[in-house]
Amino acid sequence: MSTVSTSAAPKRRRWNPLAWFKDPWRKPRILEGMTWLYLAWSVLPVVIAVIFSFNAGRSRSSWQGFSLKWWWQDPYDSLFQNPLLRPAIFQSFRLAILTTLFAVPIGTLFAIGLDRWRGRPATAANFSVLMAFVVPEIILGLALFLSFQNLVTFIPLGTVGQVIGLVTWQIAYAVIIVRARLLTIGMEYEEAAMDLGASPTRSIRRVLLPLLTPAMFASAAIVFADSIDDFVTVRYLSAGANTEPLSVKIYNAARASPTPAVNAAATFMLVATFTVITLGFFAYRFATRGQRKEGAVKEFISFEV
Amino acid sequence: MSQPREHLLRRRGPTSQLSRRQFLRASAGAALAVPTLSSILAACTKPGTEGPGGTGANGGTYPLARPDNPVTLPFHDDIPAIDDGLPIESGATLRIYNWSDYMYKKVINDFCDEFSVDYEWTTFNNMSEGIQKMSTGQVADVFIPTPDQLSKLAYGKLLQPLNHSYIPNLEANIWPVYQNPFYDQGWRYTVPYATYTTGIAYRRDVISDDEAEAQGYDMVWNPAYKGKVGIYDDTRESLGMAMLRAGVTDVNTTDEAIIQQAASDLAQLVDLVNVRLTINGVYAKLPDGVYDVHLAWAGDIIGAQWYLSDLDTPGETDVLGYWFPPDDRGLVNNDCITIPATAEHPVLAHAFLNFMLDEKHAFDNFTWNGYQPPLTSMDTDALIQAGLGEYAPNTGPGTVPPSLPRAVVTEAMFETGYFLLELAPEDELKWQTAWEEFQAGA
Amino acid sequence: MSDPATGTSRSRRETRRVQRASAKQQGAWYPRWFWPSFAVPAIVWQVVFFAASFYVILAVAFGTVDFFRNPLPVFQPWWWDFGTFTEQVSRIFGGAYQQVYLRTFAYVITASVFCLLIGYPIAYFVARYGGRRKGLFLGLLILPFWISYLMRMYAWQSLLETDGYVNDLLTFLHVLQAPFGWLEGHGITVVLGLVYGYLPYLILPLYGQLDRINQSQLEAGRDLGASPSRTFWRVTLPLSKPGILAGVIIITLPMFGDYYTNALLSQSPRTTMIGNLIDYTYVSPGLAAEGASLVLTVVVILILPMLWYLRYTSRAAAEK
Repeated sequence: MSTVSTSAAPKRRRWNPLAWFKDPWRKPRILEGMTWLYLAWSVLPVVIAVIFSFNAGRSRSSWQGFSLKWWWQDPYDSLFQNPLLRPAIFQSFRLAILTTLFAVPIGTLFAIGLDRWRGRPATAANFSVLMAFVVPEIILGLALFLSFQNLVTFIPLGTVGQVIGLVTWQIAYAVIIVRARLLTIGMEYEEAAMDLGASPTRSIRRVLLPLLTPAMFASAAIVFADSIDDFVTVRYLSAGANTEPLSVKIYNAARASPTPAVNAAATFMLVATFTVITLGFFAYRFATRGQRKEGAVKEFISFEV
Repeated sequence: MSQPREHLLRRRGPTSQLSRRQFLRASAGAALAVPTLSSILAACTKPGTEGPGGTGANGGTYPLARPDNPVTLPFHDDIPAIDDGLPIESGATLRIYNWSDYMYKKVINDFCDEFSVDYEWTTFNNMSEGIQKMSTGQVADVFIPTPDQLSKLAYGKLLQPLNHSYIPNLEANIWPVYQNPFYDQGWRYTVPYATYTTGIAYRRDVISDDEAEAQGYDMVWNPAYKGKVGIYDDTRESLGMAMLRAGVTDVNTTDEAIIQQAASDLAQLVDLVNVRLTINGVYAKLPDGVYDVHLAWAGDIIGAQWYLSDLDTPGETDVLGYWFPPDDRGLVNNDCITIPATAEHPVLAHAFLNFMLDEKHAFDNFTWNGYQPPLTSMDTDALIQAGLGEYAPNTGPGTVPPSLPRAVVTEAMFETGYFLLELAPEDELKWQTAWEEFQAGA
Repeated sequence: MSDPATGTSRSRRETRRVQRASAKQQGAWYPRWFWPSFAVPAIVWQVVFFAASFYVILAVAFGTVDFFRNPLPVFQPWWWDFGTFTEQVSRIFGGAYQQVYLRTFAYVITASVFCLLIGYPIAYFVARYGGRRKGLFLGLLILPFWISYLMRMYAWQSLLETDGYVNDLLTFLHVLQAPFGWLEGHGITVVLGLVYGYLPYLILPLYGQLDRINQSQLEAGRDLGASPSRTFWRVTLPLSKPGILAGVIIITLPMFGDYYTNALLSQSPRTTMIGNLIDYTYVSPGLAAEGASLVLTVVVILILPMLWYLRYTSRAAAEK
């Protein structure tokens, strides 16, 4: 950041703002400031909400002291003791685990099939899978609800219906992530295996799937995190108050009479999500040791991009 | 900040469901049977052309109960009442199917202790959900509907008739006005649970009692309270209030012009007072000062005392006010307890009904949820025992804050008040349409 | 070689056997059903639960209702009854819903523009100047993904209360003279909520696209004498166009169905969006046909951008 000097000898530098602004090689302070400001704006409200879950009073906007009463101390209203909130915690986990168990295998298989077979049905199905990113969730939620009520009535609302709805939504993530990984793998390894005498199924099982394990971990983590946070689809497909997961309870409470117990519930969901993502990340790192070209974080994150 | 009495702390937790009132009226067209795949496959003719009649058990329409048109619900041969003199099922688990936060758990615990049984509590978010679950196999021993669903439930064979030999408290303890209610003549299927009126709650530090008296429903339309006005997110209640303000007395009207007029009256509120639609704004927000005026059920404003920040200092509750039309010509209603047809423990269920009609237990329940049981023994004058400045929720005396004399429901109110009752589905649609257009904010 | 008894078929079999043998030698022979079978579960799933569900929407919207106003879906297109649907559509054009649709468009477009104005510089910064801290920035940018949308809106709800921190801060800075009722039903609050909620979904695809821009192209522009701003307008921006479009589509389309932001940040009829109308038909009994009709109108609005998005992703995948 030096100004243009008219004499050859070094002079006392004077900071010329206009020249500084026009300097093409300067460090982008404004942009950087903007970015940090955005990141703070992005995260700060949530941090405050987490802090207020430890509020001693009922308010969510004025601090009244530290207390754990909304977490487990209050015998009726706290998160872990409230007979209506506690089952919701279990339901959240149940739905997330079941969804992951279904979405990741179906999505992985589909990604493999899609990559190798360019048939029409597969492309069409690929389109409908990708639609999950742009279709508003309320539309799919209502469509599935009406479908369960009027067409496939053997499928009950409740956990079964909710899992089906979530899986329909989440297959897309698994497909995209596994597909990205597949593109970098290519068919040489399987062909080598088959040269050595393996049958097609065997080569898939022993060669391709292990290579895909990191992507499957990543997609499992992402699908799990996304399912726990979902509240549109699961609300429409719930069978009653007993099958509503925590996210729906938070939604209902936020519109009615929220207390810091809701903050606690949201914080709990947050912690669960982060834990799973971190575990998935470490599993990914472990599974790809020795294979990575870039930093693990960047690769893990680049699935999103 | 003081802590409320332990057992009352649980009064209303983070209400994890929408208030039971949310869709009280909006569910008159609720399903009794869900069309199945087989019915679609079997439909070789265009659906809807097979002739009138819904999926009611007798294939036809059902009568709509009105005070001047009392309804005697039918008995069905395949759903007999239980015999007299049966023993209570031992070791049973009583299944209660109710709105959330609407029954005092301590009272249920007392019941279980007395009869050595256990209980299970399932909730529904709104009446149509409740009825749908019941019709598709939800098993419960006790179910709490509102009278505007009774015809549907009874004709749809979802309830079983009561055997009154098990419920002596019914005739002994309940208000005479209920002895032969118009919606269930002869008490064939129901007993009453809680009564309530709908009025306007207000903060007495912003609006004096005299001002409230002078304005009545116009409090909601007063731009002086802009930004601090709320109404219920409830089709029938809010439109009904607008109708009463306009002088209409038939709040079950099917006249589209009247309904539309009520909706446009409400539409004025959007810009006039920045009105907001809430579910529990009365007890959750009014004590905090978020609202100064709010459409309110009597039980809600009585329960609001537990949401003040100071529950021990006398006089804190004086900030709560409740207005109800002085000639008692306002909205009144009650809930009922019924026994589903598929109840596994009907004798126990009857014992429970009798228990809830007992004076002590009904009163206990009232102290917790604020909704009055219609008991003759309950001296409504004695509910308020203190004067202004002398009452605190934790210490009393009495159970209703002294500033809420009109929130006490008296028998007389049921003679003169207006009920929001059942409508035929196509009429219900008129109300829903008007409400949707109001909500669209046009 | 032909067999006198069976004619030419034997030679065809012979040829196939030889082919298969040689293919196996090359180690790349799969039965024809092999790869399709991988895709079959997902295809079946999508057909049953995705495609069929949308057909049910049509069947309910164009169906009829029974006495209790339960939907009686009509699956045969020749019996479809367009009464309910046309009634709903008539409410949109010049009717009670017109305001809602216009308002939703206004909110969505405003929010998307703001997202772009805020998100682009940030994506640009991280992509071009991230350097060694790129991983850190990316991690922080991805963070909101793992925080439930609900929690983020809920957090804002407490901040925007009349005695909340936002009012405290703004009155302290003298931006506001008196506390403003943010939650009293104002469009600006809803737009703010939408921007806050959907911004992360825009930044990441944008970043991906900007990251792929070759540094040398930008330097070439500079070398040829273009000033930084000119480089940006003539080189960077056009190159990032696919990313902008993709990102904007990813946030704009779901915003049309958003009802929860409005439900949480404003409880006034003044800010009702299309999603709220649809939600009302869900929670109220007997309005299924109306709800399905509204869903159809939204699909009609979104169909072109959706198709464009699919074409874009398939092209992008083909390029990879």
